[in-house]
Amino acid sequence: MKTNRKLRDNLSKTFVYALGSVGLLILGMIIFYVVSTGITLVRWETIIGDSRTISTDIYLDDGAGSYILTDEIDENIIYSEIWGIGLVNATNKAGYPIIEIAYIHPESPLVRPFDRNTVDENGVHPQVDLKVGTAIEKALFNNNTIISLARDQASGMVAKLNQATSITSMSVQIVGGGIRGSIIATLYTIVFTLILAIPIGVSTAVYFNEIATTSWFSKAIKNMVDMLTGVPSIVYGMLGAAIFVPLLNNTIQTQGGSILSGSLTMVVILLPTIIKSTEEALKIIPNELRQGSLALGANQTQTIFKVVLPNATPGILTGVLLGIGRIMGESAALIFAVGAAISDNIILSERATTLAVHIWVIMGGDSPNFELAAAIAIIILSVVFVINLIVKIIAKRLQKNMNWS
Amino acid sequence: MNQVNNKNKPVFSLKDINLFYGDFQAIKNITMDINYNEVTAFIGPSGCGKSTFIRILNRMNDLITTCKVTGEVLYEDKNAYDKNFDVIELRSKVGMVFQKPNPFPMSIYDNIAYGPRCQGIKDKEALDTIVENALKKAALWDEVADRLKKSAMSLSGGQQQRLCIARTIAMEPEVILMDEPTSALDPIATQKIEDLIIELKQDFTIVIVTHNMQQAARISDKTAFFLLGELVEMDDTNKIFNHPKHEKTEQYITGRFG
Repeated sequence: MKTNRKLRDNLSKTFVYALGSVGLLILGMIIFYVVSTGITLVRWETIIGDSRTISTDIYLDDGAGSYILTDEIDENIIYSEIWGIGLVNATNKAGYPIIEIAYIHPESPLVRPFDRNTVDENGVHPQVDLKVGTAIEKALFNNNTIISLARDQASGMVAKLNQATSITSMSVQIVGGGIRGSIIATLYTIVFTLILAIPIGVSTAVYFNEIATTSWFSKAIKNMVDMLTGVPSIVYGMLGAAIFVPLLNNTIQTQGGSILSGSLTMVVILLPTIIKSTEEALKIIPNELRQGSLALGANQTQTIFKVVLPNATPGILTGVLLGIGRIMGESAALIFAVGAAISDNIILSERATTLAVHIWVIMGGDSPNFELAAAIAIIILSVVFVINLIVKIIAKRLQKNMNWS
Repeated sequence: MNQVNNKNKPVFSLKDINLFYGDFQAIKNITMDINYNEVTAFIGPSGCGKSTFIRILNRMNDLITTCKVTGEVLYEDKNAYDKNFDVIELRSKVGMVFQKPNPFPMSIYDNIAYGPRCQGIKDKEALDTIVENALKKAALWDEVADRLKKSAMSLSGGQQQRLCIARTIAMEPEVILMDEPTSALDPIATQKIEDLIIELKQDFTIVIVTHNMQQAARISDKTAFFLLGELVEMDDTNKIFNHPKHEKTEQYITGRFG
């Protein structure tokens, strides 16, 4: 009997350890894959950069100078000291050989050249940020007297650059792949959603927990709120597309989905979460506090606003933070309600993508961009991680605070 | 705070009070007067209805939806259960101290200023005066004068209970109801509260529910003995403890049951 029992004990332990390590391994592999694929793109340029690749012509007013190389650069890069720019041979996504800017001296005028093809409201050509990775298709120097094409390769173009005294025109492709627009759209969505969801959700919870008497009706509503937390978000997305999008189209003349209609949809998605967490926070407030307040001649409103809600704030905040996480991670509902058009110029009443939807867009189509998708995933994961950390800290504080006498 | 001139006049006059929780009758046909500037003690075994009864006086039972009160409760000759009677006004005139100290999780100062602020007093100097006077009357000023901005949660249990008394005093009530105010406290803290009650008798009418018969004997002028929702006997404390009229009262105070 005894050996049998020991054997069984060991067997079940092995079983638990084996399955446990499989679980950990799977989760670890996912994190590893995402981080190893995307980490090179988690850079400042990605975060603040435009999404769209721009083809344009640039020119300079300044002439050549002398920009002595101080940084260490790759040996493949061919450097032009008088213009402060380093070029390299590369291939584009379609596999054709191109000349790429691989280094720009920080003092070089080529950091911010003028854009010949656009004109701002004052009638002047605006300056554009030239960045590493920009492809040069054609270059004209010294009033069109020197011409350099892609077939010159990096060495040939740098040789011509070194003879040039002015850059008349350069056809460039400034690569996009930035996510600034989606970050701003995500922030807007968070702000507008919370502005609406917090007061509505908190008021609803306060009504059911503090004011309404317990009846079958209020119980039914509470159960329904519980159920709503489990509804797939794509159903809410349909609701957004069917109600909020036409509503905004007809009232404030938006065209199709917009950040506003997305925010309204997110409000509906978040309400159950916020109501629930507020209710939990209200439940743990000891009744003695409410009675103490009422016994001092405070009315119910004063009791709610001066005693109950201040003490429920940490719990409400927990719900709000979880809500922010939910907004950042939501994709299905927002594809319907905001539309899936990556934009660099974020306007509330127009289409955009949140970060999660941005992933969905770039992973669609013929050539899914795994690197950028993983980079965005890393950013979302980090934010959600920080949010969870804050929630844990608040929950701990809450426990400490409520332990009186 | 009408002293002397109100001596031996009732602040509360209750007649034929019945109280029901749903179908259960918790208070049966009680009639009693509670006089100005006296300490009235309610004693009786657990479940006898004394805590329920004291909550009739400031209508705290209103919070329980199944609770129904019949009979006449006259507070200063006005029917406290009348439809037009302002219950908020009643509670600011009839303060209450609970069994468990229940300071709000805010500063000592804010705890005391809470009631007056709810009444609309915003003037900083007026509030300062109210807070100082209330704490002095509750014999807590010397202990907390230098840390009024600290959280009330940092006080000891006995200090918290005196803070709750101070909070009630700050409203300048006519009556202070105390529902077993010392049952959660140690003997030294209890002693301080008892001293305080005797002190407060000068200015306030006090009704106290207590499990502790010695406490009732020590601090009260009148004692009411409750049993199973009924008022068995109410008289001067001396008489109750020395010559109880009723057999049950004698059995209870001599410790034969309860």
